[in-house]
Amino acid sequence: MPKSVLVIGGGIAGIQAALDLGDQGVEVYLIEKSPSIGGRMAQLDKTFPTLDCSSCILTPKMVSVARHPMVRLLTYSEVVEVKGKAGDFYVKVLKKPRYVDEDKCIGCGECASKCPSKVPDEFNLGMSNRRAIYFPFPQAVPLKATIDREHCFYFTKGICRVCERFCPTRAINFEQKPETLELNVASIIVATGYELMDPRIAPTYGYGKYPNVYTSLEFERLLSSTGPTGGEIMRRSDNKHPKSIAFIQCVCSRDVKVNPNCSAFCCMASVKHAILAKEHLPEVDCTIFYMDLRAFGKGYQEFYNRAVREFRVKFIRAKPAKIEEDPETKDLIITYEDTFTGVKKSIRVEMVVLAVGVKPVYPEALSLPIGEDGYILLKNPIIEPVAADIDGVYVVGVAAGAKDIPDSVIQASSAAVKASILAEGVVHE
Amino acid sequence: MEVITVYEKPTKVAPELSARLIELGAGKFIRCFNCGNCTAICPLTQDNVSYPRKLIRYAIMGIEDKIVSSIDPWLCYYCGECSDYCPRDADPGSFMMALRRYLTTKYDWTGISRLLYLSKKVEIMAIMIVAAIVGLLIYFLHGPVVLDRVQLETFAPIHIVDTAGLAVFFILAVLLITNLYRMYRFVMRDEYGERVRVPLKFLVADFVKTVPVHFFTQMKFKLCRVSNWINHLIMVYGYAAAFILFVPLLRFTQTNEPFLIVNPLSIIGIFSTLALLYGASISIRGRIRRSQPMWSYSHLTDWMFITMLLIVTVTGILVGIFRFIGLPLATYVTYSIHLMIVAPFLLLEVPFAKWAHLAYRPFAVYFSDLKKHFQSKGGGIHA
Repeated sequence: MPKSVLVIGGGIAGIQAALDLGDQGVEVYLIEKSPSIGGRMAQLDKTFPTLDCSSCILTPKMVSVARHPMVRLLTYSEVVEVKGKAGDFYVKVLKKPRYVDEDKCIGCGECASKCPSKVPDEFNLGMSNRRAIYFPFPQAVPLKATIDREHCFYFTKGICRVCERFCPTRAINFEQKPETLELNVASIIVATGYELMDPRIAPTYGYGKYPNVYTSLEFERLLSSTGPTGGEIMRRSDNKHPKSIAFIQCVCSRDVKVNPNCSAFCCMASVKHAILAKEHLPEVDCTIFYMDLRAFGKGYQEFYNRAVREFRVKFIRAKPAKIEEDPETKDLIITYEDTFTGVKKSIRVEMVVLAVGVKPVYPEALSLPIGEDGYILLKNPIIEPVAADIDGVYVVGVAAGAKDIPDSVIQASSAAVKASILAEGVVHE
Repeated sequence: MEVITVYEKPTKVAPELSARLIELGAGKFIRCFNCGNCTAICPLTQDNVSYPRKLIRYAIMGIEDKIVSSIDPWLCYYCGECSDYCPRDADPGSFMMALRRYLTTKYDWTGISRLLYLSKKVEIMAIMIVAAIVGLLIYFLHGPVVLDRVQLETFAPIHIVDTAGLAVFFILAVLLITNLYRMYRFVMRDEYGERVRVPLKFLVADFVKTVPVHFFTQMKFKLCRVSNWINHLIMVYGYAAAFILFVPLLRFTQTNEPFLIVNPLSIIGIFSTLALLYGASISIRGRIRRSQPMWSYSHLTDWMFITMLLIVTVTGILVGIFRFIGLPLATYVTYSIHLMIVAPFLLLEVPFAKWAHLAYRPFAVYFSDLKKHFQSKGGGIHA
């Protein structure tokens, strides 16, 4: 009988689950489909309510999990097939070719600096460019280059191979083939996370049409020193600092026609954004449009209080109906009803940030039952809050329901314990 | 600090208000979570005119006084944007429509409106009774039935039909004016619910400025949804022309002469009835298909209104056709049916039901302008 556990998804929840299992002496396979672990948290600048630097608390965990003797990290890999039952799952994993020999690559970055093919950078949500051979972000783990086959001139046009010429360790290998690994595991932890909804489905807000309307994650990248502007809050239209920013809550969420769920973290994330904007630009005027401000966690209410008292962030209780753009200045005019006074108003701001709702990502190879809310169904959300509806499968983080980082980490540790029980023999050793 | 004492009337809560509005078609408004999206998206709301959210709030809390004293439901023309964009699918548009039905029952002092709106049986019975009375009157009072050629005037002597028409007109005028006065009494209040006394010069000046303009152009409707406004105008003018042709000018249109198409009156008659036929068909098709928010919910009174309008129009057209091709008996029978439907249509719908909006809508603009004098000057003179 197998003694190992499979963790699908290398975000903060998957990393925590793998670490906790490894520390118990359980063998873990941590599968991540992108070239680096880190997930959404790696894209964040700061975390609420303490304003800790996100990378500073995440990166050590990323490194620990990669170096852990009990954890086998499989990045750029996908689970393609799962068979069997609790205690005895057979899993097929496809390891996509990086076209770079991971053992030889030293992460110097010479290849990426010489590559002539420019590609919109997923990590910065397309707000900057990367190359066809790239590292997703500076703190990527493993720090190994990856060739994006779709944009590489050698693969698309049959010419170039510049990276091969400049690589000091001769790590480039255009002949690499996909590999299939077969694993036998006792239990599976699903930590596949989320994607943002497309704010274009709320057409009255003009995302994609007006350059100065951003999503919350885009704004997070603007704040970050590793972001497209090096941490400067600048407008897409004119590269100037905005004098006023409006944050709109519940975009593509809490709307029965689009997505009835609350995304749980946006309220605090926007409070954080407003505070950080004030720290970056002390003169900026920040307004948050909210329907119900959900400050439920430890220190969250105090965080909100701080935003109001210390940072003078304005809060308006309204769901704005529409945003219009002044075609000359590219400023944005927001129409709303102030529901405290019942008066219809409009304000002009220079930048708008939409707190966009989330949708879960499902592990494709594992057909898990989905709940009515669209998240992976839990066996019993009250007393088995991490068990999926299939024995031996656990689901943590936003894939199981919208939640913030602390709650995802709690679930990950909880699932690690549950999963280790099935990894036979561990308890008795 | 200056201490301001405000004596506000205690708020009376009507717990049954929500249930009453749901009976009138308010649908799902209880789902509302008060985000204000509806008010903000509405093309007709302005700084000091704010609906539907506020009214939904009042309804959920059961504050009947605030709703009865509000003009806002009449300033809404049901474009349905609020319902399209409502994140709770609470359908504020239907709610506003239900408020208009509700207010119609409140303005009506006879209580008949309430009975018609709240009971399908009463509504159908009332129509049948009025139709039966008219039928009996025709049966006993009709003139000689000439069968060798069409003699409509001989069958329905003009002095009798005219007198009946005048009587109906008089009853309608009395009911509408008294109901409008009640509406005025309800709505002319300040924010504390105290009645406001309006100086005569405002009463006259604002009336002249608003009522005729809005009655004839319905320009508020235009801001709402242009295509609906055009359809509505076609119906209104079609109806107005038909009304003038067949009520005050009846002695020229209901004659023993053969029906001639080249006659100018006939041409007006043909165009006005075609306009009505067009309007009624569009509306019936829309209500069946629920193709627009404003047709998404149809109360029985809506169906009755539109069906009776269609029957009146079709029978009216048929009378013309039968006269034209010279079918005496068919003309007389169709004309009798026409009168039997016209009577309940006018007597029930105009003062008590949907059609009352022809008075309430333009007067709502008038009253809302009157109220502005007091808002802008910081409160009115307390009665």
